Amino acid sequence: MSEQSKRLAVMAAALVAIALGFHALTGSFLTAENLSNLVQQTAVVGIVASGMALIIVARQIDLAVGSLLGAVGVLMAWLQYTQGWSVPASLAAGLGFALAIGLFQGALSAIVGLPSFVVTLGGLVSLRGAAFLIADGKTQPISEPWLLALGGGMDGALGERGSWIVGVALVALCVGWQVVQRRAQSRAGLEARAMSREALQAVLTAVAVLGAVAVFNAYRIEGQEQGQGLPLPLLVWGVVVLGLSFVAKHTRFGRYVYAIGGNPEAARLAGIPVRRVLIQLNLLLAALVALAAVVAMARLNAGTNSMGTGMELTVIAAAVIGGVSLSGGSGSVAGTVLGALIIQSIDSGLLLTDVSIGWRMVVLGQVLVAAVVFDRVVHK
Amino acid sequence: MRMQQMWAATTLLMASMTTLAAGPVVGVSWSNFQEERWKTDETAMKAELGRLGASYVSADAGGSPEKQLSDIDSLLAKGAKVLVILAMDKDAIAPALAKAKARKVPVLAYDRLIEAPEVFYLTFDNREVGRLQAKAVLAVKPKGRYVMIKGSAADPNADFLRAGQQDALADAVKKGDVQIAAEEYTDGWKPEVAQKNMEQILTRLKGQVDAVVASNDGTAGGAIAALAGRGLKGVPVSGQDADHAALNRIALGTQTVTVWKDSRLLGKEAASAAVQLAGGQKVDGAAPWAGGERKVTLQAKFLAPIPITQANLDQVISAGWVPKAVVCKGVDPAKAPAACK
Repeated sequence: MSEQSKRLAVMAAALVAIALGFHALTGSFLTAENLSNLVQQTAVVGIVASGMALIIVARQIDLAVGSLLGAVGVLMAWLQYTQGWSVPASLAAGLGFALAIGLFQGALSAIVGLPSFVVTLGGLVSLRGAAFLIADGKTQPISEPWLLALGGGMDGALGERGSWIVGVALVALCVGWQVVQRRAQSRAGLEARAMSREALQAVLTAVAVLGAVAVFNAYRIEGQEQGQGLPLPLLVWGVVVLGLSFVAKHTRFGRYVYAIGGNPEAARLAGIPVRRVLIQLNLLLAALVALAAVVAMARLNAGTNSMGTGMELTVIAAAVIGGVSLSGGSGSVAGTVLGALIIQSIDSGLLLTDVSIGWRMVVLGQVLVAAVVFDRVVHK
Repeated sequence: MRMQQMWAATTLLMASMTTLAAGPVVGVSWSNFQEERWKTDETAMKAELGRLGASYVSADAGGSPEKQLSDIDSLLAKGAKVLVILAMDKDAIAPALAKAKARKVPVLAYDRLIEAPEVFYLTFDNREVGRLQAKAVLAVKPKGRYVMIKGSAADPNADFLRAGQQDALADAVKKGDVQIAAEEYTDGWKPEVAQKNMEQILTRLKGQVDAVVASNDGTAGGAIAALAGRGLKGVPVSGQDADHAALNRIALGTQTVTVWKDSRLLGKEAASAAVQLAGGQKVDGAAPWAGGERKVTLQAKFLAPIPITQANLDQVISAGWVPKAVVCKGVDPAKAPAACK
């Protein structure tokens, strides 16, 4: 196993241990309902964390994501509710705003050469102010049904049949990808893995994906004819993770990002357009924040100026727990999924145990530290 | 030399301006203007002071207790005969109180308690807000399992509200009609936190929730989103602040009640109280009160908050607090409350 997949396996084991522990304590953690809640609560952080992973890999940081999410969310909701814009127009405006901020911050750090920490620290403060100014601090409700569905909830899931179709398609995609990879390896004259290993991986993928579908289908709200199935926020998050993983591993852009993170000077001398890649990376993260803002706003049925407060730290923690090195150059998009789920599991699990808010914060903070320590120990 | 002349001229000009106004100079020290609502208070306060012939000088501490102390120095230097203080920190404000006392300048604690015997305290009755919230929910659901979504643990008002809610529920709890099935603080009063907490409470209680007493409209919004996500309809939910979004939810029928504290009334009352204090008079309706943390007895006046339900939604509209179009947005005419017809 590669270093990276070992790390992921360890994190997955930690997640399972946490889940079992909370289930033993509360008896309601590993229920279809709670797992459905959990992924919906995690999706917003998860979407942003997958982009943050690449930013940190490239030795950058973005502290402004939470404030940007708040500003974009309020802007989109305000355009719909107070200004009467159509939903697509307001979402496009939100995306445009986010990209403009991404371009501005990216240019300041990549071209002017300011540390991204400083640039985005400014953004953290200013954009929170902007989130307040856009709607004068007033909550902006949204009401478009298809938009609300993106936030999950009762009407925001695929249903049983749709979930099975997506599940089967995903398994087919993964197995098909394995075949393509294997062909490419043999064409390149590399030694292919044993057939039994390939088969094992395919079976594990199928069990995991179809098992998840079965669990989400098992969650049925009273009065509904069928199970809920995959929540839409999970679907959005899944598409983002698969897409970004592909970009990171199999495109020139992705390889540039890792090369820059490994050694920026060498990357520049090797002819990699460092500035351009960094700006593109900032734009990518800004677009993901806009997408996350749509999900967050839909979930809450409103845009509020407090949305995303403090989220930057949860996002960075998710990336770090998921195995992204803060010194750059290594880490994976897939790891952030586990990192985000671990954080949210602890938070939601402690809520189920009815622990007071003070203790919840004390425990959460130390578990974050423990996760990284654990990771270090395992790798030494 | 020229600088000094300009200074002298400015001082003279300011002195003549203050003597021109018939009433006293009222010095107002705001903690921070980041929140939209203080602007509303200020407008009402200025209008009333103008009517009474008093003049208004103010400073904004921008959220810093240290800056607030120097702000108050400069308000006193500008000739303030009475101070209205929205304290950033109820304890760190003490040095300013000492200065005001030495100059025999009375102090009015605006909306946030400053616990000192010489202070006059003006606010809405937060405990009463809590009572009204629980009472309105109890009227709809006299029996059942209640969830209490509290405010921020760092805000003393959160506990005043919770105490008031308990006042209203105590009898029903004793009789066994009402059961407090769960309660949770909401970090920073954030709606998304309230939503997550409510979701986990619903999981813990297997959806067996009959009513939600939420402490303000933001947390109510989060709780309502969580209930809707689980397909629970018709669960009564309370709130506070008469947020535009909450008034809309009341018209739509997803929220039961919001408690309205008209900050324009608070500003107006503060202005007339300040003028009375500056003249050495007793404030109308003032009474001794010792309900603070240290049980210090001081003069206080509490304004009555108003619960707003579908039945009296027209009150906020006719008072000019919010346009009818905002309250009634998206309301089905067939099911609309009277205020939206």
